[in-house]
Amino acid sequence: MAGITLNKAIKRYGAVDVIHGIDLEIEDGEFCVLVGPSGCGKSTLLRMVAGLEETSGGDIHIGSRNVTRLDPAARGVSMVFQTYALYPHMTVAENMSFGLRMNGHPKAEIAAKVKAAADILKLNDYLERKPKALSGGQRQRVAIGRAIVRGPEVFLFDEPLSNLDAELRVEMRVEIARLHKEIGATMVYVTHDQVEAMTLADKIVVLRSGRIEQVGTPLDLYHDPDNRFVAGFIGSPAMNFVKATVRDGRVHAPGLSDEAFAVDIALPPNGTDLLVGVRPHHIAIDPQGASHTLIVKEALGAMFHAYLEAPTGERIVVEVPEAEAVGLQGEVGLRMGPDRLLLFDARTELRLR
Amino acid sequence: MFPTPIDKTSSATRVAYKVALPVALLLWLLPLLAVALTSVRSSADITSGNYWGWPTSFNLVENYTAIFTNSPLAAYLLNSFKVTIPAVLGAIALSSLTGFALGIYKFRSNLFVFFLFVAGNFIPFQILMVPVRDLSIQLGVYNSIYALILFHIAFQTGFCTLFMRNFIRTLPFDLIEAARIEGVSDLRIFWYVVLPLMRPALAALSVLVFTFVWNDYFWATVLTQGAHAQPITAGIKSLNGEWIAAWHLVSAGSVVAALPPVLMFFLMQKHFIAGLTLGAVK
Ligand SMILES: Nc1ncnc2c1ncn2[C@@H]1O[C@H](COP(=O)(O)OP(=O)(O)OP(=O)(O)O)[C@@H](O)[C@H]1O
Ligand SMILES: [Mg+2]
Repeated sequence: MAGITLNKAIKRYGAVDVIHGIDLEIEDGEFCVLVGPSGCGKSTLLRMVAGLEETSGGDIHIGSRNVTRLDPAARGVSMVFQTYALYPHMTVAENMSFGLRMNGHPKAEIAAKVKAAADILKLNDYLERKPKALSGGQRQRVAIGRAIVRGPEVFLFDEPLSNLDAELRVEMRVEIARLHKEIGATMVYVTHDQVEAMTLADKIVVLRSGRIEQVGTPLDLYHDPDNRFVAGFIGSPAMNFVKATVRDGRVHAPGLSDEAFAVDIALPPNGTDLLVGVRPHHIAIDPQGASHTLIVKEALGAMFHAYLEAPTGERIVVEVPEAEAVGLQGEVGLRMGPDRLLLFDARTELRLR
Repeated sequence: MFPTPIDKTSSATRVAYKVALPVALLLWLLPLLAVALTSVRSSADITSGNYWGWPTSFNLVENYTAIFTNSPLAAYLLNSFKVTIPAVLGAIALSSLTGFALGIYKFRSNLFVFFLFVAGNFIPFQILMVPVRDLSIQLGVYNSIYALILFHIAFQTGFCTLFMRNFIRTLPFDLIEAARIEGVSDLRIFWYVVLPLMRPALAALSVLVFTFVWNDYFWATVLTQGAHAQPITAGIKSLNGEWIAAWHLVSAGSVVAALPPVLMFFLMQKHFIAGLTLGAVK
């Protein structure tokens, strides 16, 4: 019906390329999340799909139509903005019905659609209010309601929750997930909050400097990242990385342990430089050992984050259960299973598997 | 705190402030006070040369009735309204459209066109006196209120465009993009989204332009002659008799002429001040 296909999509500002030829396939009804650091081109890519930015090269299909040169209005998409973009001089009901009214839909039909959207989003009590008299979460619901009433094939969200406080964010996240289940439309969602990405997405697209680093399900990216960037970007606290070398078919990582690790991956020749990545909850602390120095402990409740310094000067974060963490101080050792280590080429930063 | 409030400064500063302020005010207002006082003098005072002394009699009612009964001042006053109101409406209507176009659309010569509007404001309009007069004769509007309406609209639109464009640039662009995605045509975006949000700018600009146009003397004397078309700023001089000076009547006429913009200012003071800063910010 209405999947989205990008074919070598390029965005150029003058002589500067900000999107370097993106190929991407989003299935009909899929929830696709674009993540990446600030300035990587997430918004630009979304706005190219919406038609708010001209596509400098390549093409974009929605469903079976090539929409590359179409007006935003003709693409059958709705967009929810980070700033909500509600018309301040109109009531909630007027805001939601504005597009339909301007395009000459019959009054009865508009009223029914607004009512249906208000029911879904529990906005019935606020229909006659102006946006100024609403809370942030309510405003965002109105913005989503405005997107729903048009019954689009594709919803585009640009960091819709980033102006909300933490608690509301969780609530709205659940709301959006429910909405997706209920409506079943294709959704493309931009965020730099990786919890949002992990919880909402069917498919995550990790972007860096206008290029796709990896596409996959949230757990694929978490357990099986293609490169160091994705490994470091997905997961919180971030993965630890230390320098390592190949020695006699084993991985020698002095930042983690004096003893070399035996791994069941085909290793490059002796002396090759590697990066070893290991997630904070895959490391255990050995109070008997004395290889690392504890710098700070952060209490998060049931879990503590322990910040350690290795003899090599490298910093390691370890997730420690409360019971073990309380008495922890001074010099400690580390324990970890060699199968938990991810290896990356030090130069290309690509994963070795 | 900066600046230090006056009542927290040394006593010498306070005294100096309390003396200097009224003196400065008095100096500033002296011409106005003189005009106001002259407007209630008798003609005897004027002929005997008592311009600055205490009036020998107060002829408030006589003078202000005289200017309306013995001269076509009412016609001049009416002309002023007939020129100013359409000129304000015209300039505001045009400039909200040009401001919308320059503020919203991205096109290659956008900045250049904008600079043309702005640059027009820097041309001393006196050098345009002869061409504008010739043009108005060729258009067949010379010596009619239409000449004034037309040229005031033309001259005010430059400044108004600068003002409107800058104001529209401060509106969140998301609003316009949201409407575009919903398939709302540009003219409807202008009418239903942008115009309602421009209300403060429209109010401020109306007051400003009203004052500019009402107070104009130059074009009033260049483009029109006589009570059928001239506004009150140009008509006041007809209060002076052909052979005898009647400064008391001229003063009364000036006070009447100054009233509408002053009233407008006090009624819309908030918008006026907002307007002066609106254009400057950003
Ligand atoms: N009009 C423009 N001219 C030149 N470069 C631009 C323009 N607009 C955006 N860019 C550049 O394009 C890149 C991508 O911007 P974009 O807004 O898509 O980033 P983003 O991933 O959404 O970041 P954020 O998370 O901060 O919103 C940025 O490096 C930005 O500097
Ligand atoms: Mg962005």
